[in-house]
Amino acid sequence: MLEIKPIFHALCRSKAGAILLLVQIAITTAIVSNAAFIIQDKIAFLNQDTGYPEQDLFKFNVMIFGKDVDTSQQFELDEAMLRALPGVENAAQSSSIPLSGGGSASSFNLKPAPQESLSVRTAYFFIDEHGLDTYGVKLIAGRNFNEDEVLVTNSSTDRSINVTVVTEALANELFPEGNGLGKTVYFGDIPLKIVGITAPMKGPWLKDSHPNNVALIPYIQGNTYAQFAVRTKPGQRAAVMKQIETVMLNNYSKRVINSIKGWDELKAQYMAKDKLMMRMLIVLITILVLVTALGIFGLTLFNINKRTKQIGTRRALGARKSAIINYFLVENAMICGVGLILGCIAALLLGQLLMQHFSIAALPPSYIAGTAIMVFIMSLVAVFGPARRAANISPSIATRTI
Amino acid sequence: MLLHYLDLSWRSFKRTPLVSFLMVLAIAIGIGVTMTSLSVYHMMSADPIPHKSSQLYTVQLQTMDEGHTWWTGDDIPMQLTYQDAVNLHNASIPEKKVAMMRTGFSVYLDSDKVKPFTGEARMTTPDFFNMFDVSFIYGGVWSEQQEQSAAPVVVISKELNDKLFAGENSIGKLVYLDDDSYQIVGVIADWPLNLKYYDLNNGAFNKVEDLFLPFSLIKANQLTSWGNSNGWKHEDIRTFADRLQSEQVWIQFWAQLDTPEQKTAYGDYLISYIEEQKKRGRFSREKPEYSLRDVNQWMQYNNVVSEDNKILVGLSFMFLAVCLANILGLLLAKFLRRAPEVGVRRALGASKRQVFLQHLVEVAMLGFIGGLLGIVLAQIGLLGVRQSYEYYKNIATMDLAMLLSAPVIAITTCIIAGLYPAWLVCRTNPAIYLKSQ
Repeated sequence: MLEIKPIFHALCRSKAGAILLLVQIAITTAIVSNAAFIIQDKIAFLNQDTGYPEQDLFKFNVMIFGKDVDTSQQFELDEAMLRALPGVENAAQSSSIPLSGGGSASSFNLKPAPQESLSVRTAYFFIDEHGLDTYGVKLIAGRNFNEDEVLVTNSSTDRSINVTVVTEALANELFPEGNGLGKTVYFGDIPLKIVGITAPMKGPWLKDSHPNNVALIPYIQGNTYAQFAVRTKPGQRAAVMKQIETVMLNNYSKRVINSIKGWDELKAQYMAKDKLMMRMLIVLITILVLVTALGIFGLTLFNINKRTKQIGTRRALGARKSAIINYFLVENAMICGVGLILGCIAALLLGQLLMQHFSIAALPPSYIAGTAIMVFIMSLVAVFGPARRAANISPSIATRTI
Repeated sequence: MLLHYLDLSWRSFKRTPLVSFLMVLAIAIGIGVTMTSLSVYHMMSADPIPHKSSQLYTVQLQTMDEGHTWWTGDDIPMQLTYQDAVNLHNASIPEKKVAMMRTGFSVYLDSDKVKPFTGEARMTTPDFFNMFDVSFIYGGVWSEQQEQSAAPVVVISKELNDKLFAGENSIGKLVYLDDDSYQIVGVIADWPLNLKYYDLNNGAFNKVEDLFLPFSLIKANQLTSWGNSNGWKHEDIRTFADRLQSEQVWIQFWAQLDTPEQKTAYGDYLISYIEEQKKRGRFSREKPEYSLRDVNQWMQYNNVVSEDNKILVGLSFMFLAVCLANILGLLLAKFLRRAPEVGVRRALGASKRQVFLQHLVEVAMLGFIGGLLGIVLAQIGLLGVRQSYEYYKNIATMDLAMLLSAPVIAITTCIIAGLYPAWLVCRTNPAIYLKSQ
């Protein structure tokens, strides 16, 4: 019915074309399945939930060069002014800014340093009691810091801080039994009591080994350099950002205000390289599939031209049009099938190679299967047009020129 | 003869325009994709200072106690502690060495003409300019004596000089950094660096700084680092003096070692330095460890070329292989259809060799046209890359080497694809075709 045997014999007579097609299909399958996996990985990374309402948040930097001012007090005044601005929900000085790619991390320990104990990498932000609300992150257990727990100082030797608010991820890593609230952890040798646990939020580095381990510490140190986080009412961010430099300089003029950026922009900058990789891979596999489809199309067309007389003869001898179409579809399916088997093996090998040399997870078989099905369908589509054309070859061709 | 073959190729191209066009398109797309990723890779991994890259070495010391690990390949911290940097800089060898740190200031003038802004700065010892081949348009570097006495002097970039002083000779003028005034002693010429190789651990694609100041000002003015600073053990650091004495690493250090002998001698010196510090109670490791990496090794060590770039280059070459298979198929079709004509040529006395060569010239021509078109496609691709990622503004371009290698790769690919079809067609038996004519 499917005439596999005669098709196979016919193929054996013109091996080169078939082998070329087979190689193309195999390489295409290998590339597309691996690239699709990497793309999927990048998309998951790009679309991850950071825990922040990024659209309503922005940051800016302040560098004070005047010497006639108490910096930490000035920042308190600035915060009060910012919070009173129309359109602003809340604002806080923040030692560094989440998602920005710059910040501080340390280890949180169960015992004071230098004693050895469980030690967990933690990104921390020095911020006051407005911090959590400014970030737009909800508490899920416990409480926020009180105003009197926040240490505001110009001295670097004052260390009288004793509470912290941490993410659930961090609390669970420090206390796997899940009862972190109320426990004490050590930041260096400083004991901090966990008074609150927050909903998930990310630290400064989305590619960190522990991006979800974040702690807020109620500490404001006067410095000539500071960063501020501001959360605005929805839709009013642009208007607030526009006037920020003016209002800050009006408050105190001997300073520089710069790097006024939305948090979505910070995130986009941090991720730009990954987005680029994703785009390039998408372009690559799209063109690749098109080139392979064209290859199949071209080769089938060539075969039909070469076999015009034979096809005419078959038609003259009583073959139906559908038999001719079938012939080419089956022929293609045979080549494609072998190509796909080789392609799956190649995809696995390539996946292994990538895993060995780069930090890429093992290629799941579902990607190979999905790619194989897609390539198969694509090959059928590519071959169908030429096959119909072959079916339309008139039987009378056979009677001419022989 | 070559001209004749080229003429034949062109005729053949025109006779089957569709197939020829498809082949050119296939090679052009293959080259376009490959050259886009290869150019980015090439520009990233290119030696930033070719004539000197094997004489400039970063210095790393194993300062951590036994059992502590670092994220680098060999577990050695990338930077030095302040005290080690100062000690190594005070050593008698090598002749040229530089200790440095990244920081920044508010920059303004005495007048109201310029609004205060933030300027990135490099605190460095004076050999920096000579070692990294930086030239001056006005003035020069501060003196050794000024370095020793932490003099308030500054070297500025051309861009900053244009901004502050409209490009005039500004030597001797004052500029305010934070709240102190600094005297300008030099203006450096434009220093276009695709890759900030001397400061890789703070961002390989960052801009070159606008301000350069004596390293000794760090201690004198208690300047904090804007770059990475890392600790590996708990230390109670409360004052700036604590920080200078600490085991935190935050200073970058380079040495210029012109000959292998100098390198060996410096290695010996570093070992003896570690041993000496051991006697003072630092460096508890059994085996003294240091590392000297030249510019290219340092770039590799810092993974300047990211994983993604390498994967992309690999995949693009596989893509080129698919294009090659495609072209091979089309060439087979095209050449074999021409068998009767070749039969006549063979019968008229053309040798197999000549027929073979003629067909190779034809595919090489296809490759050349495809390569040229491929360059156009690659330019479009690179434009897309630049639009997508501004840090690659200088990286996503084709230099001369890449422009030349595009047609070379294209022609090579086409000739590889053409070998089998050309061989098939030159074996044509003239008799068969002569009969059926």
